[in-house]
Amino acid sequence: MKTQILAFILSIAVCFGARAELKFDKTEIELHPKPDDKQAVGHFTYQNTGKTPVKFKSVKASCGCTAAQTQKDEVPAGEKGEVTATFNIGDRTGTQVKTVTVETDDPANPHTVLTLRTIIPQLLEVSPTFVFWKQGEKADPKAITVKVGKEFTVKHIKVTSSAPDYQTKVEETGKGEFKIDVQPKDTNTANGTTLTIQSEDSPKVFYATARVTGAPPAPMVPAPAGQPAPVPPADQKAPVAKTAPTGQTH
Amino acid sequence: MKLSLTRQALVLAALSLFPAMGEAIYFRGKISWRSPIPPSEMVSVDQARALGGNVIWVDARPDEEFARDHVPGALSLNEDRWNELLPQFLAAWSPGKKVVVYCSAESCDLAREAAERLRKEAQVPDVFVLEGGWEAWLKKNR
Amino acid sequence: MRETSNIESPVNAASLGVRRSAFGVWRFLWRTLDFIVAGIFVYAGALKVLDPVQFAHDIKNFQILPWPISVALAFYQPWLEIFCGVGLVFRFFYRGALCILSALIVVFTLAIIAAKVRGLDITCGCFGHASQHWSFPAHLATNVAILALLALLFKAGEQRRRTD
Repeated sequence: MKTQILAFILSIAVCFGARAELKFDKTEIELHPKPDDKQAVGHFTYQNTGKTPVKFKSVKASCGCTAAQTQKDEVPAGEKGEVTATFNIGDRTGTQVKTVTVETDDPANPHTVLTLRTIIPQLLEVSPTFVFWKQGEKADPKAITVKVGKEFTVKHIKVTSSAPDYQTKVEETGKGEFKIDVQPKDTNTANGTTLTIQSEDSPKVFYATARVTGAPPAPMVPAPAGQPAPVPPADQKAPVAKTAPTGQTH
Repeated sequence: MKLSLTRQALVLAALSLFPAMGEAIYFRGKISWRSPIPPSEMVSVDQARALGGNVIWVDARPDEEFARDHVPGALSLNEDRWNELLPQFLAAWSPGKKVVVYCSAESCDLAREAAERLRKEAQVPDVFVLEGGWEAWLKKNR
Repeated sequence: MRETSNIESPVNAASLGVRRSAFGVWRFLWRTLDFIVAGIFVYAGALKVLDPVQFAHDIKNFQILPWPISVALAFYQPWLEIFCGVGLVFRFFYRGALCILSALIVVFTLAIIAAKVRGLDITCGCFGHASQHWSFPAHLATNVAILALLALLFKAGEQRRRTD
């Protein structure tokens, strides 16, 4: 009887002792990619400090822009590994915070949220990225400001217009700032141009758009309640320049 | 009766609650507790429909999700290909038009981020985020 | 019979007078400091009371607190600053007010340092959007100076309590 009780107590003690425990070294990583980088990769290392293996049930990122994967589906006791999170920078700017949720069969930590914070350096900050004139409006030049990022030094920028109907003039206003004056030839017809802005040292390209917009739409009677609204016009594509682009360097 | 330091601090902290609550009630229309998007920048599906044909629908979801299904006539504008897709949106826009941006659901941040970029970088006025996103649209339309 | 003179001796009266006027000068100085520090916090609080929406966004930009907590803090904290500032001026719950204001300044300073270390480009929000163009060293120096003043006032307050 005493032996049986002792065996029972020992088996419970063994069960408590034989836990799985997946411990991540860090659950938040901050990345500082270079301006030309297309991806930022974070390595979240972990170790199974328990006595039984841990199985990964799922590893899901908060957005489609981040891919996350583990090296193995099961982590034996005492083994180390890592979850790799790859963030596609795309055309994003500023500080991007993306999370990866890891689900395991570890009863102590079934869910772990890993945070990837990516500080995307902004070589040039273009503001605004869109200037427009209404049809028939006076074709006065409009200004676009280009600010150089604090950690960079840029002495010259090159501005290229995709359409010859728009003139650009670049001047340096000092303190790491440039001013681009854009002016259409006339505002009689709706058209547009894409301005390509590039610094002398970097292949990274920045864009701004200048357009003469179509006439504002006539006010429409709202759809009666319960009926779908009228569909907006079909997708339009930006006009493509037929002649060679005009460029300006400063 | 002189109160201890802790009690003094607690009384001050408690007193401050009353005007704070009053202010929260006063500003309830200008700030949402659920999301950083102010109520003035969000529209429901019904409100978006009521804007009529003056609306440009913008889908902030990734390309694959847009290709699978989207609001009829919506333009794709996601941050993966922002520079490539923005000119197409700007070509469709003209002064007076309203813009409604959506992503998959209420919890998704992509629409808010895209809307903020349109407002701050391109300085496009009248940009709204669709409350409930694509999920809410499907519920009302399918 | 021992007699006790009810007239102070001329020498004692003079030194007592000097001590009293010195004490008065110090008291005046401490009260001036009270008003300066109180003024800073009441001004800062008032600016934020006028635009709690912007303050909530400024708190959110530190990326420390979730949005609902940022909103709650945006409404609550400015009033706490104002009440504590008024407490310093009118000497009600004086030590409690000093304690709260010191804790606030320490938290602001740590948050600014954390943001700087993380490379966040933030507006402190300490003085509403009036301080949006301040540099990191300016923010830090201001906070440290205010903390030093609060510490001085606390010490002076403790000394006054002991002599009273």
